[in-house]
Amino acid sequence: MKRTKSINLDRMKKNGPRFWFKPVALAVAGAMLSACSDDEREARVYTSLEVCKSENPEQAADCEAAYRKAQEDAAKTAPKYASRQDCESEFGINRCTTYPHASGQNWFMPAMAGFMFARALDSYQRYQYQPVFTSYRRSSPFYNNWVTADGRSYGSNRSTNVTVGSDAFQSKPPVTRTISRGGFGSTVAAKSSWSGSSSTRSSSRSGGWGG
Amino acid sequence: MPIRERAGWRNLAHEYGFHFHTLYGKPYWDETAYYRFTLQQIEKDIEEPSEELHQMCLEVVDRVVDDERLLGKFGIPDIFRDLLRTSWKNRQPSLYSRLDLAYDGRNPAKLYENNADTPTSLYESGFWQWLWLEDNVRNGELTRECDQFNSLQEKLVQRLKSIHASTDSADFYFSCCKDSEEDRGTVQYLQDCATEAGIPNRFVYVEDIGQGGNGTFTDLEDRVIELIFKLYPWEFMLSEDYGPLLLKNRTQWLEPLWKAILSNKALLPMLWQMFPGHPNLLPAFFEDEVEWSPGLKLIKKPLFSREGANVSLYKGGKKLFDTDGPYGKEGFIFQAYYPLPKFGDNHTLIGSWLVDDQPAGISIREDKAIVTQDLSRYLPHVIV
Repeated sequence: MKRTKSINLDRMKKNGPRFWFKPVALAVAGAMLSACSDDEREARVYTSLEVCKSENPEQAADCEAAYRKAQEDAAKTAPKYASRQDCESEFGINRCTTYPHASGQNWFMPAMAGFMFARALDSYQRYQYQPVFTSYRRSSPFYNNWVTADGRSYGSNRSTNVTVGSDAFQSKPPVTRTISRGGFGSTVAAKSSWSGSSSTRSSSRSGGWGG
Repeated sequence: MPIRERAGWRNLAHEYGFHFHTLYGKPYWDETAYYRFTLQQIEKDIEEPSEELHQMCLEVVDRVVDDERLLGKFGIPDIFRDLLRTSWKNRQPSLYSRLDLAYDGRNPAKLYENNADTPTSLYESGFWQWLWLEDNVRNGELTRECDQFNSLQEKLVQRLKSIHASTDSADFYFSCCKDSEEDRGTVQYLQDCATEAGIPNRFVYVEDIGQGGNGTFTDLEDRVIELIFKLYPWEFMLSEDYGPLLLKNRTQWLEPLWKAILSNKALLPMLWQMFPGHPNLLPAFFEDEVEWSPGLKLIKKPLFSREGANVSLYKGGKKLFDTDGPYGKEGFIFQAYYPLPKFGDNHTLIGSWLVDDQPAGISIREDKAIVTQDLSRYLPHVIV
């Protein structure tokens, strides 16, 4: 056989929403997939710092650090919406917070519902964490589920025990201060202004630099 | 061969997000007919020559990177030559290429050019024509024995997986410029393949890439970009504001910078110099090396051009016709005139795909005009 043996057709379909309303910014992963990985293990979801500390008295400092970092990560990685309405349509009334965007306009993101916490498997760090969100909106695929910023679902939020693979805690890429933007792409603008009239026929499209 | 269109394929296209099947009111995807090949034609006339041509191309890169005079002929700016050399010496991985071939079914296929840096029509080839065959076998229009030279998707998934595994980057970025649904579709397809490979991936428009601290590039949320596929030509990037940042930047780019040698039309005269008389090559010359004789017909092509822009036909040194376009200030090459084979009213061009170094399938474009351009129709094929 000279062709691809099989293709996962469901994955190729584009009409299945990840988040119901299209966020303007989103850490894209294979959304709506339930987590699966070879090395599954248990993690806890804490909806408050106090519960984490009372359950792990010897790791109180870790709880505090995890909570703080989870909040920071949540701000960076949660899906962002251009309007409060879009965000609430996904996550529920009064479940979204503002996020100041560089444009000067506010974006909206779901409030962190809790954070996953687990003892680390390696010796370099003592714990692992990840912010989680949930939806109070019945129509949302994330209704009553724990969901991470990339849209992965980790089961019902009635349970504070979740089964995770190592990818659940995968660290986000480093973040830096952006000095400027727009240093690539200027040639496109220049060449797009050209409109073709060829001796064979006229054809040109805007943008597009594949060949 | 004519064939009935699948009922409701436009709805299916919508469902799968294939939105550019009709461009400017004209059909782009055309399934009222298909091309038929024998396995022998595919393997002996297309697959083997493609692999060989690709190897020859790599030998050209190996020759050119160490030769300042040749780098000049390829229009590589001085300040980027070390960077290009390093990308080649380190064998920075590449993803894919498309060799454009003129093939009439009998005579050796001739290389028109190598789209090594930013080839498109990937989605139509890897997925959509694959689905067309599956559907038509299922509904009985085509027999079960029908096959297709098209392992693109399978190979892309594997290749992306191995490239990602060779870096310690968590996120694979994919990028193209704004305002082209077709390019966005191509890049989305690569993201689909990355997702299939289990790779976390993100998208950023080329115009939105930012400059971070320490020579990094950033996405719109200030995340550092460590590994990125760009459907955007190197020759543009090198000449733009952020070009010099590339010199101290550690981002891994796909395609790698050494592909700037292959996507350059100067490749064609170099191939002819290094492999004169090769059955799959057309004679080609640098601008200053052409020896005109009265009947000699040559096609003049800019070093950098896409989709048949700025091409002209010369006979005995006189211009017969040309196509318009924005390219050419970097110089030209001449290639022997070898018209595309004609089937019915149509001129047919074969795109032969490689993923990494392996032949991975073909795509077919046809056009009533003699120079295929960006609106030439795409037709599926089968092997019987």
